[in-house]
Order: sequence, then C-alpha cells, then structure tokens
Amino acid sequence: MPLRRRIALTFLLLLAAVLGAALFAVSAANRSNAEREVQRQLDVGGSVFMRLLESNRRLLTQAAQAAAADFGFREAVAARDTDTLRSALANSGARIGAAMVVLTSLDGRVIAAAGSHAEAGSQFDSAAQREAAADRDMRVIVDDGRIYQMVTVEVRSPVPVARLSMGFELDDKAARELADITGLGVRLSLHEGDRWTDVVGTAPTGEAHGEDVAERRIVMSTYRGSEVAATLSRSLTDARAPFERLTNRLFLIAALSLIGFGWAAFWIARNITRPLRDLTRSVDRIRAGSYDVALTVNRRDELGVLAEGLQLMQRAVRSRDQSIRSLAYEDALTGLMNRTAFSAALSDALSKREGGPIAVAVINLLRFRRINEHLGYSVGDEILTTIGNRLASLPSVDSAVARLAADEFAAFTRLSDAADLQAWGTSLLAALADPVTVEAQPIDISATVGLALAEDSGSRADDLLRCADLAVERARRHKHALALYKNTLRPAAREQLSLLGELRRAVEQDELRLYFQPKMELATGRVAGAEVLIRWQHPSRGLLSPAAFIPFAEQTGFIRRLTRWTLDRAIAQGAEWHKAGRSVALAVNISADDIDVRLDSRLAGLLTKHGLPPSLLTLEITESSFIDDADRAVRILNAVNALGVSLSIDDFGTGYSSLSLLGRMPVQEMKIDRSFVQGMESDPDTESMVRSTIDMAHSLGLKVVAEGIEIASAAARLHHFGCDIGQGYLYAKPIPAAEFAVWIEGKQRVPVIAVPVDFDAREVADTVTLVTY
Amino acid sequence: MRRRSRPCLWGALAAVCAYPALATQVTVNVTTSAGAIAADTVVIFDPSDGMPPAGHSSAIIDQVNKKFVPHVSIVRTGTAVTFPNSDNIRHQVYSFSDAKTFTLKLYAGSPKQQVVFGKPGLVALGCNIHDTMIGFLGIVDTPFFGKVSDAGGVSLDLPAGRYKMRVWNPALASAVPAREIEVGASSMALALTVTLDPSPDTVADWPE
Repeated sequence: MPLRRRIALTFLLLLAAVLGAALFAVSAANRSNAEREVQRQLDVGGSVFMRLLESNRRLLTQAAQAAAADFGFREAVAARDTDTLRSALANSGARIGAAMVVLTSLDGRVIAAAGSHAEAGSQFDSAAQREAAADRDMRVIVDDGRIYQMVTVEVRSPVPVARLSMGFELDDKAARELADITGLGVRLSLHEGDRWTDVVGTAPTGEAHGEDVAERRIVMSTYRGSEVAATLSRSLTDARAPFERLTNRLFLIAALSLIGFGWAAFWIARNITRPLRDLTRSVDRIRAGSYDVALTVNRRDELGVLAEGLQLMQRAVRSRDQSIRSLAYEDALTGLMNRTAFSAALSDALSKREGGPIAVAVINLLRFRRINEHLGYSVGDEILTTIGNRLASLPSVDSAVARLAADEFAAFTRLSDAADLQAWGTSLLAALADPVTVEAQPIDISATVGLALAEDSGSRADDLLRCADLAVERARRHKHALALYKNTLRPAAREQLSLLGELRRAVEQDELRLYFQPKMELATGRVAGAEVLIRWQHPSRGLLSPAAFIPFAEQTGFIRRLTRWTLDRAIAQGAEWHKAGRSVALAVNISADDIDVRLDSRLAGLLTKHGLPPSLLTLEITESSFIDDADRAVRILNAVNALGVSLSIDDFGTGYSSLSLLGRMPVQEMKIDRSFVQGMESDPDTESMVRSTIDMAHSLGLKVVAEGIEIASAAARLHHFGCDIGQGYLYAKPIPAAEFAVWIEGKQRVPVIAVPVDFDAREVADTVTLVTY
Repeated sequence: MRRRSRPCLWGALAAVCAYPALATQVTVNVTTSAGAIAADTVVIFDPSDGMPPAGHSSAIIDQVNKKFVPHVSIVRTGTAVTFPNSDNIRHQVYSFSDAKTFTLKLYAGSPKQQVVFGKPGLVALGCNIHDTMIGFLGIVDTPFFGKVSDAGGVSLDLPAGRYKMRVWNPALASAVPAREIEVGASSMALALTVTLDPSPDTVADWPE
C-alpha cells in the first residue's frame, strides 16, 4: 500500500474509532439522560402536584376556618337557618372558587350545601369528614363521578356543633393547569376492581401515536375502597427528541469531521508523499545517468533537507562521475577522447544517418618513438598535445577527435559527399604539416592517415575504426601518406575482424600449437636446428596455418601477444629437450612490432626461467623491422646479441633493405626467401641472384639458410653455391614437438628422404586494396 | 386542648345550705377508671315525689386568665348568673346552646346585666374573641346537685325519698346511665367510676 494511503487510513481509522467510541458514549449517555430527565420531570411533576394539593388544602382550610369562625355563621348554625347557611356557604365557596361547600351536623347529616349535589338532611360522608376534621388533612372524595379535594373544619360554638367541608373539584381545567405548569400529561383516575378508569386529564403528547411513555402514579387517597390517583406521564420519545437531535448533530459533526479529517489526512499525506514521489522520480533519473535533475523541494521541513541532501549527493555523484568518465573516456595528456569514448561517439554519429556519410581517420605519427627517446618524454608529450589541439580545432561537422594510442590519433566527421573523403584526409595531413615548436625548436612531424568511409547503413563503429586502422597500417608499411580502406563491410572483412576476438580466445584457451621444421646442414645432412612455427587448432575450422592469421595479427598489433606466447613456449620446449640431452637450436620468428626496448630483458628472463642456453635460440627477423627506425632496431638487437642469442634475417630479398643497412644489421644468419629458391629452377637470373646473395652474405660473415627446398636437385645446387643450411619439405614439413622428437631420433639413423609438397601457405587472401595518392 | 379548672362549689353550696335540716347525708365518690378524682363531674339528684319550691338564687362565673372559672358550673333553673371579667382584656361571652342563647357585648369588669337561665339543659359558654375559652353551665330543675370536690366526692343532705341520680362530666367517654336512688334515714355512700376521654373532640351529652 502506498505510504500516502497508509498514513491517511491510519489516521482515519483512529479518528473513526475515537468518534465511534465518543458517539457510542454520548448516545448511551443521552438515552439514559433522557430517561433520567423524564424521571426527574416526573419527580418534579409529582412534587409540584403535591404542592398544588397542599396549597389548595391551605386555601380551603383557611376559607373553611374563616367561615366556621364567623360569629354570624355560627349564630345561623345555632339557629339552623338553612337558607342563610346555604347562601353563606355559597359566598364562602365563591371567595376561593371552591366547587363544593357542605355543612353537616356532627353525625354527618347535611345541614346545608352549596355547589354539591348533597341535599339537606341527607347523610354525608361523616367518617371522612370526622377524620379530616380531626387531622386537619385533606381528603379526596368522589362525588357523583367527580373528584374533589376536600378539607373539613369543625364549627365550634364554642364546642363542636357542626362540620364544614369545602373542596375544589379536580377537573379537566385543574389537570390542564397542572399539565401546563409541569409540562406533563396529567390524568386523574379511579381504581375500581382491577382497572383504572381515567376520570379527567390529558394524555401525554404522542401517546396516541404509540410512543414510549413514562408514567408516575400518585395515589391520593383511598375513597370507599377505590383508589384515587393522579397519573403524571411524559412521552419518552419527546424527551429523547432533543438528545436524539444532539446525537444526530454529533453524528453529522462526526461525519463531517471524518470527511474533513480524511481530506486533510490525504492532503498532508500527499504533501509528504508527493515530494517523496518527486524525489524518487528524480533519483530514478539520476540513476539513469541524468545529473541535471532539479531536486528543489520548496520546503523547510525534513523533506526539504532530504531534497537538499539528494541535491548535494547528485552534485557529488556528478562530479565523481565526470572524473570517472574523464578517466574512462578521456585521454589524460591531451584531453581528447580515448578509444572508448571515441567509439561511443562514433556509434552515436553512425546511428544518426541523416546528412552525409561518416568518415573515420586514424592518424599515425611516424617515428614518434624516436622523438621520445631522443628529446625526452616531456617534449613528446608537448608535441602530442599540440597535434591534438590542431586536430581538434579543424572545422568539421558532427565530428570528434581522439587519441587512441601513444602516437595514434583518430577523427571522424560527417562528409557532405563521399567524394570529399580524400580532401578531408588531406586537410588532416595539412594540419600536421607545420613543424611543432618545442622550446623554440621546430620539430618536423610526419604522419600517415588511414581513412574509412561508412557508406552503408548498419556500419559499426568498431568495424569502421578497425578498417581505418588497417588502412593506416598498410599506408605506414608502404610509406604512403594516405590510405583508404574500401569495401568496408564485405563479409570477408567482417570475418577477419571477428578473427581478432577468436585469436585472443585462442591464446587464453590454449588453442595454439607449436610446430617444428628442421634446418639441415647441407654439407653434412645433419640437423642444424629447427624453426618454430605456430598452428591454430581452431575449434570449428580445424588446424589453421600461420598464413591464415599471422598477417592479421601483425596488422592489428596482436602479433606482440602471439610472439610473447611463442617465445615462452618455444624456450620452454627447447629447455626441455636440452635438459633431456638432445639440444636443438630453435629459431623463433619475431615481427617488427616485437622489437622494443624491453625485448632483451624479456628474453633474458625467459631463458633464465626455463633454463635454456642463449646459444640455442635464434630470433628470425624481417627486413621491415629496420624500416621505421633502423638505429633503434640495431640498438635493441645488439642488446639481444649481447645475451648470446643469435639473430637471423628472414625472407631476405622481399623487402627494401639497402646494402648499407644490411651491413649494420647485427645478424649472424640470412634466410633466402623461398620464392627465390623455388624460382631458381626455372629462372637462371634468379639462380644467379641467389648465388650472388650467398656470396654477399658470406662476405658479410653471415651463415646462409635457404628456405622452401622441396626437391633434392635444388638442395644440391644450393650446396654447390655454398649455402650452409637448407630447410623445406625435402627434409620435413613442420611437425608437433612430440613427432619432432621422434623424427630427430630417427634422423640419427635414417638417411634423408624427399617429402612431397602438400601445402603452400604463402598465398593469403588479401582483403585490403590500397590506393596510393 | 382544653384545660380543666379546679372544682369550686361556692355557688352550689350556698344553695344547699339554705335547705332545712332533717335530711340524710348522701356521699357520692367519683373516680376515673384510672383511680384519679374525676374533677368537674356533676352529680344531680332529681326527686321523684315533687320538686321543692323554687327560690331566687344567683351565681357567678368569673373569667380569669382567659378561662371561665369555674370551668363547669351547675345552677337551678331560674338562677341569675353574673359573668364578671377579672382579666384586663375584654371578653365577649356568648352561648348558642339550646338551653340558653345569649351574647354579652364586649366588656371589661362586671357586666351590667345578669343572665337568667330558665330552661334546664347544658349551656356551652364561649368567648367570641378567644376560641379557647370554654366553660359549661348545667341548668337543672332540682335543687339537689353537687360537683366533685377536691376530696373526690359530692356530699348532699337529701330528704328521704326516691331520686334519679344523673352524673355528667364534659369529658365522659360514655354516658353514665341515670340511676334510681332510695334515700332512707341513714346516710349513704356511693362510689362511681367514670371513664373520661383525655382529649375529647366533642362534649359529652347532657343527661336528661
């Protein structure tokens, strides 16, 4: 249940309970109050009635005594002057409105009467009269169906000679008067036999309608065996009416207060919970990554404080997020985007397909490593910063600039037309053409730019960037200033891109295998050593030769990882054989990218770790390793030589080595490329080239290895030319370590047999088309 | 409440003493049922053989301290009674009794006229302005009557003969029946017991 409803309901229920209890108590009290009130009214009515009777009695007594004491009256009594007496009685009765005045002799015989039906000479109620005269109290008598309140006094002269009775009739008028005074219904009734008969009186209001009536019966006297009573009554319904009105009013008030309170409770609850809900929404938005949420709750209470706290928290989170973001997405040195941010920005731009196509450029600074090494890192950093600023300040639409690696920048922009791609590339180059001045010293920067264009919908940022990477790599290799990757989204390219991930997995999950191909001394036929090659035991595509993935690894730089893995395993294997007493000199290929300042130390570490003598290791390098920065390569390789590790120049003749460079290379061996060895058969020019190369190598003090020897005649000719070592299917194809161990065991006893050619790994599908400008 | 006055027999004795000798002493002792002296009781002897001749006699009923003194008097028919007022306030003495109806105007001291009671019976005396003043005067034809003395009896010298004896007290609870009395030569002593109502609301009927 939402907080708002819970708060409101709690208060409502509480109030309802309190009101209910109060109403119950009040209504119960009212009911009993009404009844008590009625009883009280009846009490009061009763006592008023009694007082009325008493006051009547006094009035009657006084009037009767006055009459009886009158000397003339007594004279008339003595004289039995009935006419006079009757008139005197009427006179006395009229003074106080007495309805009945009767004078009797002491034995109860009527002497004279007024207002009564009693006739002279008839017998009056002497017993009642005598008693009344004696106790001077009133009597209620019934005479001819009428009720009288009667008092009796003695007429003395001076001894009692007669009795004078005087009475008021308790008639309708009297009952009405009493009813008016007391507000009660008053009836006078006779009890004869077993039932009461109303003589006079008014019924209480509402009795006729069957309402509840409370009664109080006051028995005034017993007269000749029948009781005379006054019945006071009060309608309970009437009596309850005001209380019921009060109760109803209370109910109304309760209902109104419930409504009001309910509204207020909901209002307050909403006032509490609405800001909470707003805050929750804001917090949701903050969680979703939006930090510009307004968290202002215009309140001075706890919720205001909470909102303020959240506001502060949002600011803190935002600032932390920014710093994390800048760490994650920004290049610390130049302040440009890093690869991740660039990739994301590129994705964004690609998803908006309106406008022209998106072009991506990867810019590689040439020989930057040398600047760092020669002029120091601070200079290098300044140059990078300057370059970054220049690139960033280029005017372009929907664009971004990033620094991807030490000497590599990237940029993308939205072109108005695909044809503008070249112009954009050129403008990038132009921006870098001016020398960068550091400490008043102009430094020339040269760069290559690889371009890729996303022409189709659905281009992926990573693909595009990778394509530009491939283009710049190719441009760099071929010393072009600008290269464009075309057919960006061909399936084969996709496949190749996915290769990188698989390759990574291959290393991690140990899918790579070491194969060994023997190198033979041509003069003796003995095993001179073995070249270490790698194969990929692909889980779905089977065993892959290096040609299927090495060029790709070189293009993407993953080759360094592969080389490290290969060196580690090869050295371990060599050490194992060495320890087993069957030392084999192993040659491991390393690429240009592998040649860095830490190569020697890494090698030394591996040799020590596995326990392989350095003399049993040869590194085969290509000419291209020297192209970028020959001096640096020479320096590093010298260090490697110094460890005692030999160096061999691989695939000689396919590159662009100059003779002067060849002279400076710290190598001990030269491997003639298989294309020359195999072309020797059919082309005499090639043969003489091979022959002179061998001579030249020898003159430089290098051993010569011929690769790709497949037929014995070629081996013979090469031997004839003075080639020292041969390698090829003629002797053995590359085989796994275990097989190699068996093979080399057999080699000790069995003569060399020719092995048929069954594999040529040289042809690699080239998915890259280069355009040179 | 009515107060009973002390017996005073001056009037009666005067009448009796005037009678000649040769009489027999008759003593009637009247007590209440409780044994007390039944004061204010009058005893009347009516001779069966003819009444002695009437003589002029008089009596006084004084008014002292708003009381008739004596409270109960008895006189022979034809007696003239004087109602002197010994109080220093005025009184209006009246009677509405059948035996004699009279009113003495409001007066102080001795009234100018005497009231002659010529008819036997009982007269209730009252004062019109003092309701509590009540006195009784019995009027009889016979000269032989007496009122119970402080000693508790009535002593009369009666000539021998037959008499009807009547007894009356204002507070008699029940009438004492008349008795025939034969008076001989020797003296007689009679003892009577009467029942008196201590707080009567009416006056006992006069015995005829």
